[in-house]
Amino acid sequence: MRVLQVEAVVERLLRELAGMELTVAFAVLILLSGFVVGVAVARWLGRLLVRLDVPTAVEGTPFERTARSFGTSTVALLSRLAGLFVFLVAFVVALRLLGVLATELFVARLADFFPNLFVAALIVILGLLVGDKAHVMVSERLSSVKLPEVTLIPSLVKYSIFYVAGLLALAQLGVATAALLVLLAAYAFGLFFVGGLACKDMLTSAAAGIYLLLTEPYTIGDEVRIDDQRGIVQEMDVFVTRIESDEEEYLVPNRLVFRRGIVRVRS
Amino acid sequence: MTDLPDLLGAVVEGVDAVLLFSPSGSFHEQFADLDLPVVVVSAEDAVGAERFVELPLEFEELSERLRFGIEGAIQQGYVDGDAVLACAAKVFGDDIDSVTRVRADGFERSGVYDLFVNSRAEPSVIRDVLEVTIELGKKGQKGKQVGALFVVGDAGKVMNKSRPLSYNPFEKSHVHVGDPIVNVMLKEFSRLDGAFVISDSGKIVSAYRYLEPSAEGVDIPKGLGARHMAAGAITRDTNAVAIVLSESDGLVRAFQGGELLLELDPEEY
Repeated sequence: MRVLQVEAVVERLLRELAGMELTVAFAVLILLSGFVVGVAVARWLGRLLVRLDVPTAVEGTPFERTARSFGTSTVALLSRLAGLFVFLVAFVVALRLLGVLATELFVARLADFFPNLFVAALIVILGLLVGDKAHVMVSERLSSVKLPEVTLIPSLVKYSIFYVAGLLALAQLGVATAALLVLLAAYAFGLFFVGGLACKDMLTSAAAGIYLLLTEPYTIGDEVRIDDQRGIVQEMDVFVTRIESDEEEYLVPNRLVFRRGIVRVRS
Repeated sequence: MTDLPDLLGAVVEGVDAVLLFSPSGSFHEQFADLDLPVVVVSAEDAVGAERFVELPLEFEELSERLRFGIEGAIQQGYVDGDAVLACAAKVFGDDIDSVTRVRADGFERSGVYDLFVNSRAEPSVIRDVLEVTIELGKKGQKGKQVGALFVVGDAGKVMNKSRPLSYNPFEKSHVHVGDPIVNVMLKEFSRLDGAFVISDSGKIVSAYRYLEPSAEGVDIPKGLGARHMAAGAITRDTNAVAIVLSESDGLVRAFQGGELLLELDPEEY
């Protein structure tokens, strides 16, 4: 009788131990495969980014330069971040499996928070890159304009993009961003409303100009009369039509062509 | 006993200004403390020079390059019309390797600078058309030597002084010279007879145009054919610039105001 009882206890213990061992093995397997997949993802993403010409796209941006000074690069940073994320997910899953993490624990909550953190980091990096790139591109575009105040515009574009990226990242982390959002809304409203108001004439001209360019009711070389101004069409673009008479050259906004109509002079 | 620097120093003795043709940044810096005005002539202002003349085309012929730089420097008021200039340029190497002493009034001004800068069309448009013409002259159309005539700028007037030979292939198209695919198009259409008309901003207005200017009093060198005559005449009647690729001798010539201003051999580019 005694022997039987001992046997039963040993058997149960053994079975439990086997189950435990299996779980540990499984957890280690997950951890390992997480590591492998993470490295693979990092490699693959790095290669994909190079294939997509990201290194040339980000060249010259301050973010890339800072990354270089730390002995790394934007591409390496991004791909490593993705690899790390995969590994961390595997790590958390493994810990869960072992039952080490109880769901109500703070660490467990933190684990749930990982994806958000990852996306936020991604948004910050992308925001920095796009902002810097926009700054470089806009200032290149404006380099022919020799006006000191014009240097303000690229900075404005850059910080607007930074602001939006920061806002998105904070929202991703669950920080209260309502106040910042209101500020952004006011800014966007100002930009679009005031900008739209200021560019009203340009926009109507452009709309008319697109029609004129597509259908070409009159073309370079035709003699026309718009608004009592008569001459030969020298140049047409989206916004204006240049009409030249013997003495003078008129720049007619295309919206006037629509509002007043145009007379083609047949000779 | 005379030293070589003493002998050759006479070349730069008493000059009024120095013209540097496409200098490198470090070369240009050496001239920073010089009392004389330094004018940089190059394709783009890479050294941030105070006085700068843009070179729209890397003239292979040194004298053409110098001529352009000097005319540009005079036009922009950097040097006087009767100044004595030292021109430093590269002839064989990648760095500046030669110095020439030029009297600004010692040669006849050809107006090649005016051709680019003071014509109606934008300088970049004229440069693009010249490049297309040079390329066309170098390769020809399918290996065969072709001729071509481009009338650039003042397109409205040019259109009124010409008539279509056939349907205009560029009607309702909005292509500009310098667009990537356009060079091929221009090459294809160059086998058509007639002239290309290009507007001030580089839009290709028409191909297949028969120019009808009055050729009265146009003075172009003897031996050039009807295409050159038409080019000279249309530029006299309008404010356009005409760029011609000769079918017989393969040279590229530019006309403005009825006069031949520039002659280039495409093979040298």
